[in-house]
Amino acid sequence: MSDATPQTRAVEVSDASMVFNPGTPGEVAALDHVDLTVEPGDFVSLIGPSGCGKSTLLRVIANLLEPTDGSVLVNGKSAHQARIDQDYGMAFQQSGLFEWRTVTKNIELPLELKGWDKKRRQERVREMLDLVKLPDRGEHMPWELSGGQQQRIAIARALAAHPPLLLMDEPFGALDEMTREHMQSELLQICAATGTTVVFVTHSIPEAVYLSDRVVVMSAGPGRITEIVSVDLGRDRDEDTREDDTFYKKITEVREALRGSEMSAEARGIEDR
Amino acid sequence: MLFASLAIAILLWEFYKAVGPEDGGDIFGWRIIPKTNDRVMPHTWTMAAEFGDDAIGSGDQKVWQVLLGYAWYTFRMAIAGLALGVFVGVGLAVFMARFKIVERGLLPYLVISQTIPLIALAPQVTVIRGSLDLPQWTSAAALAAFLSFFPVTVSTLRGLQSAPAASLELMDSYAASWWTTLRKLRFPAAVPYMVPGLKLAATASVIGVIVTEITLGGLRGVGFATIDYSQKVTSQPASVYAAVFAAAVLGLIMFGIVVAGESIAMRRRPKEVVG
Repeated sequence: MSDATPQTRAVEVSDASMVFNPGTPGEVAALDHVDLTVEPGDFVSLIGPSGCGKSTLLRVIANLLEPTDGSVLVNGKSAHQARIDQDYGMAFQQSGLFEWRTVTKNIELPLELKGWDKKRRQERVREMLDLVKLPDRGEHMPWELSGGQQQRIAIARALAAHPPLLLMDEPFGALDEMTREHMQSELLQICAATGTTVVFVTHSIPEAVYLSDRVVVMSAGPGRITEIVSVDLGRDRDEDTREDDTFYKKITEVREALRGSEMSAEARGIEDR
Repeated sequence: MLFASLAIAILLWEFYKAVGPEDGGDIFGWRIIPKTNDRVMPHTWTMAAEFGDDAIGSGDQKVWQVLLGYAWYTFRMAIAGLALGVFVGVGLAVFMARFKIVERGLLPYLVISQTIPLIALAPQVTVIRGSLDLPQWTSAAALAAFLSFFPVTVSTLRGLQSAPAASLELMDSYAASWWTTLRKLRFPAAVPYMVPGLKLAATASVIGVIVTEITLGGLRGVGFATIDYSQKVTSQPASVYAAVFAAAVLGLIMFGIVVAGESIAMRRRPKEVVG
Protein backbone atom coordinates (compact mmCIF):
# COMPACT_ATOMS: atom_id res chain seq x y z
CA MET A 1 0.00 0.00 0.00
CA SER A 2 2.64 2.44 1.03
CA ASP A 3 5.03 4.10 -1.35
CA ALA A 4 7.48 4.26 1.49
CA THR A 5 10.57 2.09 1.30
CA PRO A 6 11.40 0.19 4.50
CA GLN A 7 13.95 2.82 5.38
CA THR A 8 11.38 5.61 5.28
CA ARG A 9 9.76 6.08 8.63
CA ALA A 10 6.00 6.52 8.75
CA VAL A 11 6.29 9.28 11.32
CA GLU A 12 9.32 11.04 12.68
CA VAL A 13 8.75 13.76 15.26
CA SER A 14 11.99 15.40 16.41
CA ASP A 15 12.24 17.74 19.34
CA ALA A 16 8.74 19.11 18.80
CA SER A 17 7.36 21.73 21.15
CA MET A 18 3.97 23.34 21.05
CA VAL A 19 3.09 26.40 23.09
CA PHE A 20 -0.45 27.78 23.00
CA ASN A 21 -1.07 31.48 23.67
CA PRO A 22 2.64 32.27 24.04
CA GLY A 23 3.43 35.32 26.11
CA THR A 24 -0.01 35.59 27.68
CA PRO A 25 -1.30 34.54 31.10
CA GLY A 26 -3.06 31.65 29.30
CA GLU A 27 0.24 30.24 28.04
CA VAL A 28 0.19 26.44 27.89
CA ALA A 29 3.13 24.19 27.01
CA ALA A 30 1.13 21.42 25.35
CA LEU A 31 4.23 19.65 24.05
CA ASP A 32 7.73 19.98 25.41
CA HIS A 33 10.61 18.65 23.28
CA VAL A 34 8.87 15.50 22.13
CA ASP A 35 10.57 12.82 20.02
CA LEU A 36 8.56 10.01 18.46
CA THR A 37 9.33 7.56 15.68
CA VAL A 38 6.76 5.26 14.11
CA GLU A 39 7.88 2.56 11.67
CA PRO A 40 5.67 1.55 8.73
CA GLY A 41 3.08 -1.03 9.79
CA ASP A 42 3.36 -0.09 13.45
CA PHE A 43 0.36 0.43 15.65
CA VAL A 44 1.24 3.09 18.20
CA SER A 45 -1.11 4.42 20.92
CA LEU A 46 -0.76 7.72 22.73
CA ILE A 47 -2.13 7.61 26.27
CA GLY A 48 -2.02 10.00 29.18
CA PRO A 49 -4.04 12.28 31.43
CA SER A 50 -6.10 15.15 29.99
CA GLY A 51 -3.86 17.99 28.94
CA CYS A 52 -0.84 15.74 28.32
CA GLY A 53 -0.80 16.83 24.71
CA LYS A 54 -1.68 13.48 23.12
CA SER A 55 -4.31 15.05 20.87
CA THR A 56 -1.97 17.95 20.20
CA LEU A 57 0.78 15.55 19.17
CA LEU A 58 -1.66 13.81 16.81
CA ARG A 59 -2.62 17.16 15.28
CA VAL A 60 1.00 18.13 14.91
CA ILE A 61 1.63 14.90 13.00
CA ALA A 62 -1.48 15.66 10.92
CA ASN A 63 -0.16 19.19 10.30
CA LEU A 64 -3.44 20.57 11.60
CA LEU A 65 -1.23 22.39 14.09
CA GLU A 66 2.18 23.81 13.30
CA PRO A 67 4.61 23.05 16.13
CA THR A 68 6.25 26.05 17.76
CA ASP A 69 9.56 24.27 17.51
CA GLY A 70 11.05 21.06 16.12
CA SER A 71 10.35 19.10 12.96
CA VAL A 72 7.80 16.53 11.83
CA LEU A 73 8.29 14.13 8.94
CA VAL A 74 5.46 11.96 7.67
CA ASN A 75 6.26 9.31 5.09
CA GLY A 76 9.66 10.94 4.65
CA LYS A 77 8.12 14.30 3.68
CA SER A 78 7.32 17.42 5.66
CA ALA A 79 4.02 17.06 7.51
CA HIS A 80 2.65 19.88 5.37
CA GLN A 81 3.46 18.09 2.13
CA ALA A 82 2.07 14.84 3.52
CA ARG A 83 -1.22 16.57 4.29
CA ILE A 84 -1.43 18.03 0.79
CA ASP A 85 -0.71 14.58 -0.67
CA GLN A 86 -3.34 13.03 1.63
CA ASP A 87 -0.73 10.60 2.95
CA TYR A 88 -2.86 9.97 6.00
CA GLY A 89 -6.51 9.44 6.85
CA MET A 90 -8.10 10.70 10.02
CA ALA A 91 -10.89 9.53 12.32
CA PHE A 92 -12.30 11.34 15.34
CA GLN A 93 -14.40 10.51 18.39
CA GLN A 94 -17.42 12.06 16.70
CA SER A 95 -17.65 10.11 13.47
CA GLY A 96 -17.98 13.48 11.74
CA LEU A 97 -19.98 12.02 8.88
CA PHE A 98 -21.82 14.63 6.85
CA GLU A 99 -25.49 14.14 7.65
CA TRP A 100 -26.63 15.40 4.24
CA ARG A 101 -24.61 12.79 2.37
CA THR A 102 -25.39 9.13 1.97
CA VAL A 103 -22.90 6.63 3.40
CA THR A 104 -21.49 6.15 -0.11
CA LYS A 105 -21.12 9.90 -0.64
CA ASN A 106 -19.40 10.23 2.74
CA ILE A 107 -16.80 7.63 1.87
CA GLU A 108 -16.36 9.28 -1.53
CA LEU A 109 -15.50 12.66 0.01
CA PRO A 110 -11.69 12.31 0.11
CA LEU A 111 -11.74 10.76 -3.37
CA GLU A 112 -13.83 13.63 -4.72
CA LEU A 113 -11.29 16.06 -3.34
CA LYS A 114 -8.55 14.09 -5.06
CA GLY A 115 -10.44 14.49 -8.31
CA TRP A 116 -11.21 10.83 -8.94
CA ASP A 117 -13.90 10.13 -11.55
CA LYS A 118 -17.25 8.69 -10.51
CA LYS A 119 -16.65 5.14 -11.71
CA ARG A 120 -13.36 4.81 -9.87
CA ARG A 121 -14.92 6.30 -6.73
CA GLN A 122 -17.82 3.85 -6.79
CA GLU A 123 -15.50 0.88 -7.16
CA ARG A 124 -13.43 2.03 -4.21
CA VAL A 125 -16.51 2.69 -2.07
CA ARG A 126 -17.75 -0.86 -2.71
CA GLU A 127 -14.33 -2.18 -1.69
CA MET A 128 -14.31 -0.07 1.49
CA LEU A 129 -17.87 -1.07 2.47
CA ASP A 130 -16.81 -4.71 2.18
CA LEU A 131 -13.72 -3.99 4.26
CA VAL A 132 -15.76 -2.54 7.14
CA LYS A 133 -18.41 -5.27 6.69
CA LEU A 134 -21.31 -3.00 5.83
CA PRO A 135 -21.71 -3.87 2.14
CA ASP A 136 -25.44 -3.06 1.95
CA ARG A 137 -25.49 0.24 3.81
CA GLY A 138 -24.26 2.45 0.98
CA GLU A 139 -27.53 4.22 0.28
CA HIS A 140 -28.40 4.80 3.93
CA MET A 141 -28.02 8.16 5.60
CA PRO A 142 -25.43 8.23 8.43
CA TRP A 143 -28.03 9.05 11.08
CA GLU A 144 -29.89 5.88 10.21
CA LEU A 145 -26.90 3.82 11.40
CA SER A 146 -25.83 2.85 14.93
CA GLY A 147 -22.87 4.55 16.58
CA GLY A 148 -20.58 1.59 15.85
CA GLN A 149 -21.66 1.48 12.22
CA GLN A 150 -21.09 5.22 11.86
CA GLN A 151 -17.58 4.80 13.24
CA ARG A 152 -16.90 2.03 10.72
CA ILE A 153 -18.01 4.32 7.91
CA ALA A 154 -15.70 6.99 9.30
CA ILE A 155 -12.83 4.48 9.18
CA ALA A 156 -13.83 3.50 5.63
CA ARG A 157 -13.73 7.20 4.70
CA ALA A 158 -10.33 7.64 6.37
CA LEU A 159 -8.90 4.68 4.44
CA ALA A 160 -10.73 5.27 1.14
CA ALA A 161 -7.76 6.85 -0.57
CA HIS A 162 -5.51 4.03 0.72
CA PRO A 163 -3.29 6.28 2.80
CA PRO A 164 -0.31 4.52 4.37
CA LEU A 165 -1.04 6.16 7.72
CA LEU A 166 -4.19 6.36 9.83
CA LEU A 167 -4.48 8.95 12.61
CA MET A 168 -7.23 8.31 15.14
CA ASP A 169 -8.37 10.52 18.00
CA GLU A 170 -10.33 8.44 20.53
CA PRO A 171 -12.41 6.97 17.73
CA PHE A 172 -14.21 4.49 19.98
CA GLY A 173 -14.55 6.81 22.96
CA ALA A 174 -18.29 7.32 22.50
CA LEU A 175 -19.16 3.64 22.00
CA ASP A 176 -20.44 1.20 24.59
CA GLU A 177 -17.96 -1.36 25.97
CA MET A 178 -19.15 -4.35 23.89
CA THR A 179 -19.23 -2.45 20.62
CA ARG A 180 -15.92 -0.94 21.52
CA GLU A 181 -14.13 -4.27 21.96
CA HIS A 182 -15.70 -5.51 18.76
CA MET A 183 -14.53 -2.43 16.88
CA GLN A 184 -11.01 -2.87 18.23
CA SER A 185 -10.79 -6.38 16.77
CA GLU A 186 -12.23 -5.12 13.49
CA LEU A 187 -9.68 -2.32 13.37
CA LEU A 188 -6.82 -4.78 13.86
CA GLN A 189 -8.14 -6.93 11.02
CA ILE A 190 -8.51 -3.91 8.76
CA CYS A 191 -4.96 -2.79 9.54
CA ALA A 192 -3.61 -6.28 8.95
CA ALA A 193 -5.46 -6.45 5.62
CA THR A 194 -4.28 -3.05 4.43
CA GLY A 195 -0.87 -2.83 6.11
CA THR A 196 -1.80 0.59 7.45
CA THR A 197 0.33 2.31 10.08
CA VAL A 198 -1.77 3.71 12.93
CA VAL A 199 -1.26 6.42 15.52
CA PHE A 200 -4.10 6.10 17.98
CA VAL A 201 -5.06 8.46 20.80
CA THR A 202 -6.99 6.91 23.66
CA HIS A 203 -7.50 7.18 27.39
CA SER A 204 -8.36 3.51 27.82
CA ILE A 205 -5.43 1.38 29.01
CA PRO A 206 -6.85 -2.00 27.86
CA GLU A 207 -7.67 -0.49 24.48
CA ALA A 208 -4.15 0.86 24.07
CA VAL A 209 -2.57 -2.47 25.10
CA TYR A 210 -4.89 -4.61 23.01
CA LEU A 211 -4.33 -2.62 19.84
CA SER A 212 -0.74 -1.48 19.99
CA ASP A 213 2.75 -2.64 19.27
CA ARG A 214 3.89 0.24 21.39
CA VAL A 215 2.06 2.34 23.96
CA VAL A 216 3.40 5.86 24.33
CA VAL A 217 2.72 7.11 27.86
CA MET A 218 2.56 10.88 28.22
CA SER A 219 2.39 13.25 31.17
CA ALA A 220 0.87 16.70 31.47
CA GLY A 221 2.18 20.17 32.21
CA PRO A 222 4.19 20.38 30.02
CA GLY A 223 3.20 17.55 27.66
CA ARG A 224 6.02 14.99 27.53
CA ILE A 225 6.58 11.37 26.65
CA THR A 226 7.50 9.64 29.91
CA GLU A 227 7.71 6.04 28.80
CA ILE A 228 7.18 3.80 25.80
CA VAL A 229 5.81 0.33 26.62
CA SER A 230 6.36 -2.37 23.99
CA VAL A 231 3.49 -4.83 23.80
CA ASP A 232 4.77 -8.18 22.51
CA LEU A 233 1.45 -9.93 22.09
CA GLY A 234 2.13 -10.83 18.48
CA ARG A 235 0.14 -9.75 15.47
CA ASP A 236 -2.70 -12.27 15.63
CA ARG A 237 -4.73 -10.88 18.49
CA ASP A 238 -8.28 -12.03 19.10
CA GLU A 239 -10.77 -12.10 21.95
CA ASP A 240 -8.60 -14.68 23.79
CA THR A 241 -5.79 -12.15 23.89
CA ARG A 242 -7.87 -10.16 26.37
CA GLU A 243 -7.54 -13.03 28.87
CA ASP A 244 -3.84 -13.57 28.25
CA ASP A 245 -1.44 -13.12 31.19
CA THR A 246 0.86 -10.96 29.11
CA PHE A 247 -2.13 -8.72 28.34
CA TYR A 248 -2.73 -8.15 32.06
CA LYS A 249 0.96 -7.68 32.74
CA LYS A 250 1.16 -5.01 30.05
CA ILE A 251 -1.95 -3.27 31.37
CA THR A 252 -0.28 -3.10 34.79
CA GLU A 253 2.91 -1.82 33.23
CA VAL A 254 1.10 0.97 31.38
CA ARG A 255 -0.94 1.80 34.48
CA GLU A 256 2.20 2.12 36.58
CA ALA A 257 3.87 4.24 33.95
CA LEU A 258 0.80 6.48 33.92
CA ARG A 259 0.72 6.70 37.70
CA GLY A 260 4.36 7.65 37.74
CA SER A 261 3.76 10.36 35.16
CA GLU A 262 0.80 11.72 37.09
CA MET A 263 2.77 11.80 40.31
CA SER A 264 5.56 13.68 38.66
CA ALA A 265 2.98 16.12 37.31
CA GLU A 266 1.66 16.62 40.83
CA ALA A 267 5.16 16.96 42.18
CA ARG A 268 5.62 19.93 39.88
CA GLY A 269 2.43 21.38 41.33
CA ILE A 270 0.45 21.14 38.16
CA GLU A 271 -3.14 20.12 38.05
CA ASP A 272 -4.05 17.87 35.21
CA ARG A 273 -7.73 17.23 35.90
CA MET B 1 -56.78 23.42 13.16
CA LEU B 2 -56.24 26.12 10.58
CA PHE B 3 -59.94 26.16 9.76
CA ALA B 4 -61.02 25.87 13.38
CA SER B 5 -59.05 28.99 14.33
CA LEU B 6 -60.46 30.82 11.30
CA ALA B 7 -63.97 29.88 12.43
CA ILE B 8 -63.25 31.15 15.94
CA ALA B 9 -61.91 34.44 14.54
CA ILE B 10 -65.09 34.87 12.47
CA LEU B 11 -67.28 34.06 15.48
CA LEU B 12 -65.46 36.61 17.68
CA TRP B 13 -65.81 39.27 15.01
CA GLU B 14 -69.54 38.62 14.53
CA PHE B 15 -70.11 38.33 18.29
CA TYR B 16 -68.56 41.73 18.95
CA LYS B 17 -70.43 43.21 16.02
CA ALA B 18 -73.68 41.88 17.51
CA VAL B 19 -73.15 43.07 21.09
CA GLY B 20 -70.74 46.00 20.71
CA PRO B 21 -71.99 49.64 20.67
CA GLU B 22 -72.92 50.83 17.20
CA ASP B 23 -71.11 54.13 17.68
CA GLY B 24 -68.18 52.88 19.72
CA GLY B 25 -67.53 53.95 23.28
CA ASP B 26 -65.18 55.64 25.69
CA ILE B 27 -63.05 54.22 28.45
CA PHE B 28 -61.74 56.87 30.85
CA GLY B 29 -62.38 59.46 28.18
CA TRP B 30 -60.37 57.59 25.53
CA ARG B 31 -62.33 56.61 22.47
CA ILE B 32 -61.05 53.06 22.15
CA ILE B 33 -64.18 50.95 21.82
CA PRO B 34 -64.50 50.42 18.05
CA LYS B 35 -67.71 51.20 16.29
CA THR B 36 -69.60 48.21 15.02
CA ASN B 37 -71.48 49.81 12.14
CA ASP B 38 -71.22 48.25 8.71
CA ARG B 39 -68.68 50.80 7.53
CA VAL B 40 -66.12 50.01 10.20
CA MET B 41 -66.93 46.36 10.79
CA PRO B 42 -68.69 44.81 7.84
CA HIS B 43 -70.13 41.34 8.28
CA THR B 44 -67.67 38.61 7.45
CA TRP B 45 -70.04 37.26 4.80
CA THR B 46 -70.18 40.73 3.25
CA MET B 47 -66.38 40.61 3.00
CA ALA B 48 -66.49 37.17 1.44
CA ALA B 49 -69.24 38.23 -0.96
CA GLU B 50 -67.20 41.31 -1.89
CA PHE B 51 -64.90 39.17 -4.02
CA GLY B 52 -67.82 38.42 -6.33
CA ASP B 53 -68.99 42.03 -6.65
CA ASP B 54 -68.42 44.17 -9.67
CA ALA B 55 -65.22 46.12 -9.31
CA ILE B 56 -65.80 49.87 -9.55
CA GLY B 57 -64.11 51.45 -12.52
CA SER B 58 -62.80 48.19 -13.96
CA GLY B 59 -65.34 47.47 -16.68
CA ASP B 60 -67.26 44.26 -16.11
CA GLN B 61 -64.56 42.59 -14.04
CA LYS B 62 -65.38 41.24 -10.60
CA VAL B 63 -63.38 42.28 -7.54
CA TRP B 64 -61.61 38.93 -7.31
CA GLN B 65 -60.46 39.17 -10.91
CA VAL B 66 -59.07 42.64 -10.38
CA LEU B 67 -57.39 41.58 -7.12
CA LEU B 68 -55.90 38.54 -8.80
CA GLY B 69 -54.31 40.79 -11.39
CA TYR B 70 -52.97 43.10 -8.66
CA ALA B 71 -51.69 40.14 -6.65
CA TRP B 72 -49.84 38.69 -9.64
CA TYR B 73 -48.22 42.07 -10.23
CA THR B 74 -47.13 42.32 -6.58
CA PHE B 75 -46.07 38.69 -6.53
CA ARG B 76 -43.62 39.14 -9.38
CA MET B 77 -41.98 42.14 -7.69
CA ALA B 78 -41.85 40.28 -4.37
CA ILE B 79 -40.16 37.28 -6.03
CA ALA B 80 -37.65 39.56 -7.70
CA GLY B 81 -37.05 41.30 -4.37
CA LEU B 82 -36.67 38.00 -2.53
CA ALA B 83 -34.24 36.68 -5.15
CA LEU B 84 -32.15 39.83 -4.88
CA GLY B 85 -32.39 39.74 -1.08
CA VAL B 86 -31.25 36.12 -0.92
CA PHE B 87 -28.40 36.79 -3.34
CA VAL B 88 -27.17 39.79 -1.37
CA GLY B 89 -27.91 38.16 1.99
CA VAL B 90 -26.01 34.95 1.25
CA GLY B 91 -23.19 36.93 -0.37
CA LEU B 92 -22.77 39.10 2.72
CA ALA B 93 -22.91 36.07 5.00
CA VAL B 94 -20.19 34.30 3.02
CA PHE B 95 -18.07 37.45 3.02
CA MET B 96 -18.46 37.82 6.79
CA ALA B 97 -17.81 34.12 7.42
CA ARG B 98 -14.64 34.37 5.35
CA PHE B 99 -13.25 37.44 7.07
CA LYS B 100 -13.91 37.77 10.78
CA ILE B 101 -12.88 41.41 10.63
CA VAL B 102 -15.62 42.12 8.06
CA GLU B 103 -18.17 40.53 10.36
CA ARG B 104 -17.12 42.78 13.21
CA GLY B 105 -17.10 45.88 11.03
CA LEU B 106 -20.18 45.26 8.93
CA LEU B 107 -22.72 43.41 11.07
CA PRO B 108 -23.56 46.35 13.36
CA TYR B 109 -24.32 48.51 10.31
CA LEU B 110 -26.55 45.82 8.87
CA VAL B 111 -28.48 45.78 12.13
CA ILE B 112 -28.78 49.56 12.06
CA SER B 113 -29.93 49.42 8.43
CA GLN B 114 -33.02 47.54 9.53
CA THR B 115 -34.09 50.37 11.84
CA ILE B 116 -34.46 52.77 8.90
CA PRO B 117 -38.14 53.09 7.99
CA LEU B 118 -38.75 51.85 4.47
CA ILE B 119 -40.86 54.93 3.74
CA ALA B 120 -37.85 57.15 4.40
CA LEU B 121 -35.75 55.20 1.91
CA ALA B 122 -38.34 54.97 -0.85
CA PRO B 123 -37.80 58.47 -2.35
CA GLN B 124 -34.00 58.00 -2.44
CA VAL B 125 -34.40 54.64 -4.13
CA THR B 126 -36.65 56.25 -6.74
CA VAL B 127 -34.08 58.93 -7.44
CA ILE B 128 -31.30 56.36 -7.85
CA ARG B 129 -33.53 54.15 -9.98
CA GLY B 130 -34.38 57.12 -12.20
CA SER B 131 -30.72 58.00 -12.66
CA LEU B 132 -29.96 54.40 -13.66
CA ASP B 133 -32.87 54.43 -16.10
CA LEU B 134 -34.39 51.26 -14.66
CA PRO B 135 -38.12 50.43 -14.89
CA GLN B 136 -40.32 51.55 -12.02
CA TRP B 137 -40.96 48.12 -10.54
CA THR B 138 -37.27 47.79 -9.68
CA SER B 139 -37.78 50.30 -6.85
CA ALA B 140 -40.23 47.93 -5.22
CA ALA B 141 -37.94 44.95 -5.77
CA ALA B 142 -34.99 46.86 -4.32
CA LEU B 143 -36.91 47.87 -1.21
CA ALA B 144 -38.27 44.34 -0.82
CA ALA B 145 -34.67 43.11 -1.03
CA PHE B 146 -33.67 45.69 1.56
CA LEU B 147 -36.13 44.13 4.01
CA SER B 148 -35.51 40.50 3.09
CA PHE B 149 -31.72 40.32 2.90
CA PHE B 150 -31.24 40.82 6.63
CA PRO B 151 -32.83 37.63 8.02
CA VAL B 152 -31.06 35.73 5.25
CA THR B 153 -27.68 37.20 6.19
CA VAL B 154 -28.05 36.56 9.90
CA SER B 155 -29.34 33.01 9.55
CA THR B 156 -26.84 32.05 6.85
CA LEU B 157 -23.92 33.46 8.82
CA ARG B 158 -25.01 31.49 11.86
CA GLY B 159 -25.36 28.40 9.68
CA LEU B 160 -21.97 28.79 8.03
CA GLN B 161 -20.42 28.96 11.47
CA SER B 162 -22.29 25.87 12.65
CA ALA B 163 -20.04 23.26 11.04
CA PRO B 164 -18.56 21.06 13.81
CA ALA B 165 -14.87 21.49 14.63
CA ALA B 166 -14.12 17.85 13.79
CA SER B 167 -15.63 18.25 10.32
CA LEU B 168 -13.59 21.39 9.74
CA GLU B 169 -10.44 19.53 10.86
CA LEU B 170 -11.36 16.72 8.50
CA MET B 171 -11.54 19.11 5.54
CA ASP B 172 -8.29 20.63 6.75
CA SER B 173 -6.70 17.18 6.81
CA TYR B 174 -7.59 16.85 3.12
CA ALA B 175 -5.85 20.19 2.55
CA ALA B 176 -9.17 21.43 1.14
CA SER B 177 -9.29 25.12 0.22
CA TRP B 178 -11.65 27.55 1.95
CA TRP B 179 -13.97 27.54 -1.05
CA THR B 180 -14.04 23.76 -1.24
CA THR B 181 -14.81 23.64 2.47
CA LEU B 182 -17.58 26.20 1.90
CA ARG B 183 -19.09 24.15 -0.88
CA LYS B 184 -18.77 20.69 0.62
CA LEU B 185 -19.20 21.43 4.31
CA ARG B 186 -20.15 24.90 5.50
CA PHE B 187 -22.92 25.57 3.02
CA PRO B 188 -24.73 22.22 3.35
CA ALA B 189 -24.38 22.51 7.12
CA ALA B 190 -25.97 25.98 6.94
CA VAL B 191 -29.13 24.91 5.12
CA PRO B 192 -31.22 24.01 8.21
CA TYR B 193 -30.28 27.37 9.74
CA MET B 194 -31.17 29.28 6.58
CA VAL B 195 -34.74 28.00 6.40
CA PRO B 196 -36.22 30.20 9.17
CA GLY B 197 -34.37 33.20 7.72
CA LEU B 198 -35.78 32.51 4.27
CA LYS B 199 -39.30 32.22 5.70
CA LEU B 200 -38.96 35.65 7.30
CA ALA B 201 -37.44 37.02 4.10
CA ALA B 202 -40.29 35.70 1.95
CA THR B 203 -42.97 37.50 3.92
CA ALA B 204 -40.78 40.57 4.41
CA SER B 205 -40.38 40.96 0.67
CA VAL B 206 -44.18 41.07 0.21
CA ILE B 207 -44.36 43.75 2.89
CA GLY B 208 -41.55 45.64 1.18
CA VAL B 209 -43.38 45.67 -2.16
CA ILE B 210 -46.73 46.65 -0.65
CA VAL B 211 -45.22 49.49 1.38
CA THR B 212 -43.42 50.71 -1.75
CA GLU B 213 -46.65 50.63 -3.74
CA ILE B 214 -48.42 52.65 -1.07
CA THR B 215 -45.56 55.12 -0.71
CA LEU B 216 -44.52 55.75 -4.28
CA GLY B 217 -47.65 55.25 -6.38
CA GLY B 218 -47.63 54.28 -9.99
CA LEU B 219 -47.25 50.59 -9.17
CA ARG B 220 -50.61 48.85 -9.43
CA GLY B 221 -50.47 45.88 -7.10
CA VAL B 222 -52.14 44.80 -3.89
CA GLY B 223 -50.72 47.76 -1.96
CA PHE B 224 -52.25 50.14 -4.45
CA ALA B 225 -55.56 48.24 -4.12
CA THR B 226 -55.73 48.76 -0.34
CA ILE B 227 -55.34 52.53 -0.82
CA ASP B 228 -57.66 52.64 -3.81
CA TYR B 229 -60.38 50.64 -2.05
CA SER B 230 -60.11 52.57 1.18
CA GLN B 231 -61.11 55.63 -0.79
CA LYS B 232 -64.23 53.82 -1.94
CA VAL B 233 -65.06 52.81 1.59
CA THR B 234 -68.46 54.58 1.54
CA SER B 235 -69.81 52.64 -1.39
CA GLN B 236 -68.06 49.30 -0.81
CA PRO B 237 -66.85 49.16 2.81
CA ALA B 238 -65.91 45.49 2.61
CA SER B 239 -63.62 45.92 -0.38
CA VAL B 240 -60.71 47.12 1.79
CA TYR B 241 -60.83 43.83 3.62
CA ALA B 242 -60.82 42.00 0.32
CA ALA B 243 -57.56 43.77 -0.58
CA VAL B 244 -56.05 43.02 2.84
CA PHE B 245 -57.08 39.41 2.42
CA ALA B 246 -55.36 39.30 -0.96
CA ALA B 247 -52.17 40.68 0.63
CA ALA B 248 -52.29 38.03 3.37
CA VAL B 249 -52.80 35.24 0.86
CA LEU B 250 -49.86 36.56 -1.14
CA GLY B 251 -47.65 36.44 1.96
CA LEU B 252 -48.80 32.88 2.62
CA ILE B 253 -48.00 31.82 -0.93
CA MET B 254 -44.48 33.24 -0.63
CA PHE B 255 -44.12 31.44 2.69
CA GLY B 256 -45.40 28.26 1.06
CA ILE B 257 -42.75 28.45 -1.65
CA VAL B 258 -40.04 28.46 1.01
CA VAL B 259 -41.70 25.59 2.89
CA ALA B 260 -41.82 23.58 -0.35
CA GLY B 261 -38.15 24.29 -0.91
CA GLU B 262 -37.41 23.28 2.67
CA SER B 263 -39.10 19.92 2.33
CA ILE B 264 -37.04 19.21 -0.78
CA ALA B 265 -33.74 20.37 0.74
CA MET B 266 -34.34 18.65 4.08
CA ARG B 267 -35.75 15.46 2.56
CA ARG B 268 -33.02 13.18 3.85
CA ARG B 269 -31.90 15.07 6.93
CA PRO B 270 -32.36 13.83 10.49
CA LYS B 271 -35.66 15.03 11.94
CA GLU B 272 -34.39 17.22 14.71
CA VAL B 273 -34.82 20.84 15.65
CA VAL B 274 -31.89 23.13 15.00
CA GLY B 275 -31.10 25.44 17.91
